[in-house]
Amino acid sequence: MSDWTLEKLTDRVFEILRDEILEATEDFTPASNLVESGLDSLAVTQLMLSIEESTGVWVDESLLTPENLESARTLAACVHEQLDAS
Amino acid sequence: MSSSTPPELPLTGADCFLRAFDDEVRRTGRASHASQLVLRLGPGFDVDAFQALIARVTQAHPLMHAPIRRKLGVGPPAYRMAAADTTTVPPVELHAAETGDALPELFFRRLNEPFDAGRGRLLRFDLVPREAGRMDLAMTWLHMLFDGAGSEAFVEWLEAVHRGRSPDELPPDEAPGVAPGMPEGLGARERGRRAMSWQRWMTSMAQPRPRSLAGPLRRLPQALRYDVLTLPEEETGRVVERARQKAGFLTPMLFYLACAIRGHDAVFRERKLDPGAYVVPLPVNMRPKGSEHALFRTRVSLLWFRVLPEVVRDFDALIADLKAQRLAAIKAGQIENGVIAMDYARHAPMRLYAHMARRAMQGELCSFFFAFTGEFAGGIEAFLGAPIENAFHAPPVPTSPGSSAAMSLRGGRFNATHVHQRGLFAPAELALFRRTLRDDLLGEG
Repeated sequence: MSDWTLEKLTDRVFEILRDEILEATEDFTPASNLVESGLDSLAVTQLMLSIEESTGVWVDESLLTPENLESARTLAACVHEQLDAS
Repeated sequence: MSSSTPPELPLTGADCFLRAFDDEVRRTGRASHASQLVLRLGPGFDVDAFQALIARVTQAHPLMHAPIRRKLGVGPPAYRMAAADTTTVPPVELHAAETGDALPELFFRRLNEPFDAGRGRLLRFDLVPREAGRMDLAMTWLHMLFDGAGSEAFVEWLEAVHRGRSPDELPPDEAPGVAPGMPEGLGARERGRRAMSWQRWMTSMAQPRPRSLAGPLRRLPQALRYDVLTLPEEETGRVVERARQKAGFLTPMLFYLACAIRGHDAVFRERKLDPGAYVVPLPVNMRPKGSEHALFRTRVSLLWFRVLPEVVRDFDALIADLKAQRLAAIKAGQIENGVIAMDYARHAPMRLYAHMARRAMQGELCSFFFAFTGEFAGGIEAFLGAPIENAFHAPPVPTSPGSSAAMSLRGGRFNATHVHQRGLFAPAELALFRRTLRDDLLGEG
């Protein structure tokens, strides 16, 4: 069982996006739309690498659907499911 | 000239990569490494306003006609803004009207005419009226002036100025001294290590040695022309969905690259030629977030792919291979390494640069050129009063490899531009390439 709760994971995904990937402005929140905030193909791969570094889980690219990339919150939920399944 | 205009602006590493091939094309092909975009416009285009607009924007951005030189013949080359000839503007020529829907032959000729970077002759426009008040517009430029994204941003910027923005509002560059995409805080030793890593990675691509349809570099006059495959909206919708299903919604470029590889593979097989490995560079836009509208200078790194012919025959295996290579290269930091390596190479003489790029592949540069640029100038519906009916790129390719595929979308329609050296493809091979490409895009055949 992973130590990552959904809340903790959401915070971590949000931090990575805000501080390392998107150079986000102050109005960027865990509910902000990621593609509209500038997430592109290169950024999403870098995000997956950072998540793997933090959690040890690699999110399969087939799971990177528009729905799962809607926000930091939905992406964290997707990663959390992967963690539970691993 | 804007008060923020610096007296000089250094070329990026990617600019110098293109400059080396411009020099090669000049020496071997008596032309330039020039790129072109075409706007097919509906009725209403204001020619006089366009000519006045180009003059105004040129005055505000002297980079558009600044000579490109090295300082005292050494050091990285730069746009010498202070030496720009402000008495001239890029040519805007209105030509005789044409009938039918075929692209004007003039546009192809323009791709093969030399520009003069040393004198700041970097850009030109050609206007060809069509029936019913329509207009074809070609913008042809020395490729190092803009990359694909920058050229589209420039078109959008021209329209914005036409609609009332001041041409002075946009600075020529947000950070003139910084190479776009350069990682921060690296020491000289680490930069050297990463540049070498990129060089080794590129060299590893040459096993087995790739072969282009043109073969290794020869002294041959450049004679490029191009064909455009345009799909109607219904078919475009199917292609976009198929790209999403096959390669993922954020990485459709891998689907389009796979289609381009298989198009070339069909011609190799028809000729019963061994292609070795297919080695293709994919440009990666390195604009930092927030500077998507940066116009001038090329801001790209290159992701290189190497695919064996036996993998190409299975479409899904090919895409899986491309995905795995992309991920491995990003994990290894090769996109940033490419920026570092190209930045180092700015100091190299152009001939040495081109020689180094070809040496690893025994005279070849790659199998063919490829680019996917997404939605073309999606921010505008009209240009100088005329609706944009279609728009696409025709990027340059040296006589070796002699073939380039550029793909984009505009207004719900997919465009694939195949630029090729005259005589490289027999008519039946061109038809085969086009048929294979179309079948793979649509999942038919």
